[in-house]
Amino acid sequence: MITINDLGFTYGETGGLGSISLDKTKGHILPADRYVLKNISMNLEEGRIYGLLGENGVGKTTFLTLLSGLKKPQHGEIDIDGRKPYDREPSFLSDLYYLSDEVAPMNMKAIDYAMNYGKFWTGFDIDRFNEVMNVLEVDAQQKMNKMSSGQLKKTYIAFALACNTKYLFMDEPTNGLDIPSKAQFRKAVTKYTREDSVILISTHQVRDLENIIDPIIILDRQDVLLNASIAEISEKLYFDYSSEPMENALYREMIPGGNIQVCLNQYGEDSKVNLEALFNTVHQHKELIKGIFNK
Amino acid sequence: MKKDIFNFRRFGKYFSTDFRTCCANYGLSLLTISLLSPVALYFITAAFNMMLRNGWDGPDMGLRVFVFVVAMICLVVTMPVKCYGRITEKQYGSFWLTLPASRLEKFASMILMTCIIVPISGALLYLGLDAAICALDSTCGQNLVAGGMELLQKMGEAQDVTFNFIDENITIEDATLAQEIIRQVNNPWMYLDEIFCITLPFLLGAIFFKNGKTVKTILALFAISTATSIICSPILTNWALEIVNTANEDPMAILQMFNNKLFKNLVLIDTLTDTVTNLALLAGVWFRIKTLKH
Repeated sequence: MITINDLGFTYGETGGLGSISLDKTKGHILPADRYVLKNISMNLEEGRIYGLLGENGVGKTTFLTLLSGLKKPQHGEIDIDGRKPYDREPSFLSDLYYLSDEVAPMNMKAIDYAMNYGKFWTGFDIDRFNEVMNVLEVDAQQKMNKMSSGQLKKTYIAFALACNTKYLFMDEPTNGLDIPSKAQFRKAVTKYTREDSVILISTHQVRDLENIIDPIIILDRQDVLLNASIAEISEKLYFDYSSEPMENALYREMIPGGNIQVCLNQYGEDSKVNLEALFNTVHQHKELIKGIFNK
Repeated sequence: MKKDIFNFRRFGKYFSTDFRTCCANYGLSLLTISLLSPVALYFITAAFNMMLRNGWDGPDMGLRVFVFVVAMICLVVTMPVKCYGRITEKQYGSFWLTLPASRLEKFASMILMTCIIVPISGALLYLGLDAAICALDSTCGQNLVAGGMELLQKMGEAQDVTFNFIDENITIEDATLAQEIIRQVNNPWMYLDEIFCITLPFLLGAIFFKNGKTVKTILALFAISTATSIICSPILTNWALEIVNTANEDPMAILQMFNNKLFKNLVLIDTLTDTVTNLALLAGVWFRIKTLKH
């Protein structure tokens, strides 16, 4: 289990001049309080595929890199099975894989890359790598620096899934993938991950992952707006797809053939959660949503 | 816990991976520098001799030594950037940092590859090809290895010379001192630790700077040496003044001082300064790896 307690992180200088600090890159005086993440506390449980949503610049990548030990928390702490990620202990790292949004075109064949590096992850399975490469329709014999960006991303996805780690963090994995590849990705993630794993996927393309992510975490600047399972969301919010406008709708969007409307689920009705509508609702009614889900 | 700091099995695995990755990224450059330069030197020299002297003649020993040194410097300057420079990039760096091997293992492998494996492989390839060229064409004369061995032998013999051929009045002390100096400059350690002094700054530069790594390293070295000169010049000036004052009073005391403090301890002084420099550079590499974030 991952326990995050009062996590804070900033890219700028804090303090020093009371309530202001100097932005060295631009030479501007800025408020000292430039935390990207602040007071973030949550637990991430095993056997779940978490979807991490948020606008640009709210700190999704920062959050994932902190969990992966690529950055050091400046405030609070992250505990993953009793370990601190920033210590980067090999025994911990062998149970974690972080797939960055930008991947490196290595000067070797995909299969050689997998053989060369896969041995460091105890659960790595080369047959699984080849299987996922087949599912994603990428030739493992191709040189990585000759691949298109989509093929390269798929190679890294195959490698990440073949590592068979308990903790898998993916940053925008569907960026650069074509439409069939997105479906193949969903299939691969559901088929080739461990039952007890904690998977955290950040994305802007909520539709790409709509059917696989549950729970949903929505980050805002210095805040977590929502951290709830699909069941909890549909228990508390009602998603209406009829053409008749609802008076008490928190969010309404016209779509061909009707509307998507979100309102409070006062009568305990079942509805299919639409992640894009949910995201927009949460952003328009931050305090209300936080109040409902934090009860 | 100890296993997380250093594990020989994992280190072996990591080193083999690092070696393969370096081969993929730098293998071709290593072969080009080590194998192409002696061949190119041979043909270019021969072509010039054909044009200017109307006869076939290979490069002489002096030119070959010069090109060998230049090639080796090129090798150690370019290797760290190609093999390890990418760890400062987010794309590769985040993968490298989360690769399940300890910091110490990554550090040790990096140092082994940069300071030992690549320079030795490059030198062996170069010297091997030089020997082959010299064996095929006698106009080149001795190969570099044989030439080097001969030089060492001559220096060894020089140690036994009593110097009475220079001046009949030479004292036993002077002859002993000269022998001592020759003995010291014959010590291979005087030169071996220099390899680290040349390679480590470029390794540190490769993993420290995000771009313009080689140029920035050279500029940084220039800045550091300038700063060191500025800081040390008052100390050295004072020391020189002291020497001049002493020399006016007792010239023999100066000679005695140089004999006792400098010439008799050449290897020790050289080793000490190089060791301090190398330790500082190693510490720099270690802390950069330890604190690298993406």
